[in-house]
Amino acid sequence: MTTGVFASDAGDARAAVSPPPAAAPLPSRASLAVRWRAMARTGLRMMLHDKLKMLGTLIGVVFAVILANQQLGTFMGLLQKNVLFLRNSGADVWIAPPGTTQFQSGKPISDVALMRARVMPDVEWAEPLLLGSVTVATPVGGAEPVTLIGVRLPIKGGGPWNMVAGTPEVLARPDTMIFEDADREKLGGLNLGSVREVAGHKVTVGGFTYGLIPFAPSFAFASYDLARELLKTPRDRMNFVMVKAKPGTDPVVLARALQENLGDEVKVMAKDDYAKTVYGYLLRATPLGITFGTSTLFGLIVGFVIVSLSMFSAVVDNLREFGTLKALGTTTADLAKLLFVQSVAYALVGSTIGLALVSNLANAIRSPRLALVLLPQTFGATFFVMTALCVIASSLALLRLHRLEPAMVFR
Amino acid sequence: MTLAIEARDVVKTYGVGDAATQVLRGVDFRVKKGEFVFLAGPSGSGKTTLLSILGCVLTPTSGDVSLLGTRVSGRKESELPGLRVAYLGFIFQGHNLIASLTAAQNIALQLELRGHSPREAMKEAESLLDRVGLGDRTHHKPGELSGGQRQRVSVARALAGGPPIILADEPTASLDAQAGLLVTEMLREMAKERGHSVVVVTHDNRIYHLADRVVQIEDGTITGESS
Ligand SMILES: Nc1ncnc2c1ncn2[C@@H]1O[C@H](COP(=O)(O)OP(=O)(O)OP(=O)(O)O)[C@@H](O)[C@H]1O
Ligand SMILES: [Mg+2]
Repeated sequence: MTTGVFASDAGDARAAVSPPPAAAPLPSRASLAVRWRAMARTGLRMMLHDKLKMLGTLIGVVFAVILANQQLGTFMGLLQKNVLFLRNSGADVWIAPPGTTQFQSGKPISDVALMRARVMPDVEWAEPLLLGSVTVATPVGGAEPVTLIGVRLPIKGGGPWNMVAGTPEVLARPDTMIFEDADREKLGGLNLGSVREVAGHKVTVGGFTYGLIPFAPSFAFASYDLARELLKTPRDRMNFVMVKAKPGTDPVVLARALQENLGDEVKVMAKDDYAKTVYGYLLRATPLGITFGTSTLFGLIVGFVIVSLSMFSAVVDNLREFGTLKALGTTTADLAKLLFVQSVAYALVGSTIGLALVSNLANAIRSPRLALVLLPQTFGATFFVMTALCVIASSLALLRLHRLEPAMVFR
Repeated sequence: MTLAIEARDVVKTYGVGDAATQVLRGVDFRVKKGEFVFLAGPSGSGKTTLLSILGCVLTPTSGDVSLLGTRVSGRKESELPGLRVAYLGFIFQGHNLIASLTAAQNIALQLELRGHSPREAMKEAESLLDRVGLGDRTHHKPGELSGGQRQRVSVARALAGGPPIILADEPTASLDAQAGLLVTEMLREMAKERGHSVVVVTHDNRIYHLADRVVQIEDGTITGESS
């Protein structure tokens, strides 16, 4: 036995008669594409292997998708309710009192605006509109508010739509109004032909609309003259003038021309600009944006924490495997690819499940009063945001892998 | 002639200050190309530490290590994975196979990391499994294999892609005598066939007869060797 001295050739003698050429260092490392592919497949297989952990992570994503979309969707529903009338009135341009930021009655404007608008060259028609809050006396002695719309006959714009009983023409009958079907119960079992006292006048129910509930009491329609009586609006005053542009006329251009012509006594807005003004007001001047923004964010944060922790724990539970991968020659960057692919998979699958569930929820709870609005853009944004969220959430796991010593595999 | 492994005056100290313990105290260790060497010694003598340094997963405190004439000690951390891919195959005490991958996929992954295309890798993985007598177990996951079968998959994975050096740390420790012998015989046979140089850490004197050389390490120094 020798100490620290190199061996004899005994080993070779015991080997094959003519020793094969010794293996040489391997020339190439895998290309980036091969590494991506290898890491992607390994990552997905690892993910599918631990079904319970996969489920946990997916629940985090699904939870965030549902909570965020439910909040955001309800907020969108509220926004849309505030412009419900603008979207359905048929008018391209609105002449409103100066300082108007919402679809509400302000200080009425003079009929001069109406006269002048009617003679503008690109105007198809211009019609006055009355808007105000009145109460309906119920048979049991209560009083329920409605949002009264007064519209000139024959109706060119701003009339009742989505009618489920009667026709808009019933407004031509004396002291006849159209109410919201969803309010029939509230107004004391309203039926066609029911008589109710509205602002002290007896009126007859001539028809029903469905789903015409703004972010205020539901709409009720009356002829212009009846509405003026109920609202006690002076004969030469009105809340809005609705303007229809001639075909081929840009409403924005027409609005600008009208504003120039009519001066500062009124505020003229194209329909879309009016809607934007309303949205802007709701976001800036009310706590709605903050409230819903916070709860949406909360959903995302909770989802982020769940995804982050469950991906971290998946890594910690399998440290030996990751250590082995490192010993076999993967780098932290390779393992980052693995986690990236897992994150994207979680985001895509979780978003799909979450959106399916939230769409069902939206359908289930949809009512004239509450609508959960899911726009196509929301779907796209959900995938995008959740992918970003999951990728960022995986960084805790990546940090652990970065610090993982491959030497641990021999322990 | 260049050596497969040449380690000179390797020192490894764990910890710093009062807590510092010198685990390797100037180890000289050499392995010729194609040699099949055992490293033996009592528990805590530094076998695993030395193997880790040779395997480029641990850096020595001082001393030089070269693999096939290429100096691997004193390299930047970021160069080590590349060196492992180019030079080394590992067999661990626990099989350390990836539980979610089949036997063939475990081997194919190592091959892909060594630059093989996925298709090539799969073909080669299957032929290696055939060679270790597991041709009918390619699609089994580690959990569906016996201990001895798993270790045979590990052998196939270590040899996959033909790294010049194979390092094994107590590959038979968790196997019964017969399975341990079978795996070690298989490793030796294939290494000799293909020209791999092999270092096996083992306590198991029942398999010493398979070694070209048995090197003894005690308390961080090489104390002798026998052939
Ligand atoms: N990461 C570490 N930090 C501190 N000390 C360590 C570390 N790794 C190993 N040691 C110590 O170094 C000494 C040698 O350990 P090593 O694992 O190399 O021994 P070994 O010969 O492989 O033993 P065994 O036969 O039990 O596996 C031991 O005393 C051990 O406690
Ligand atoms: Mg050991």
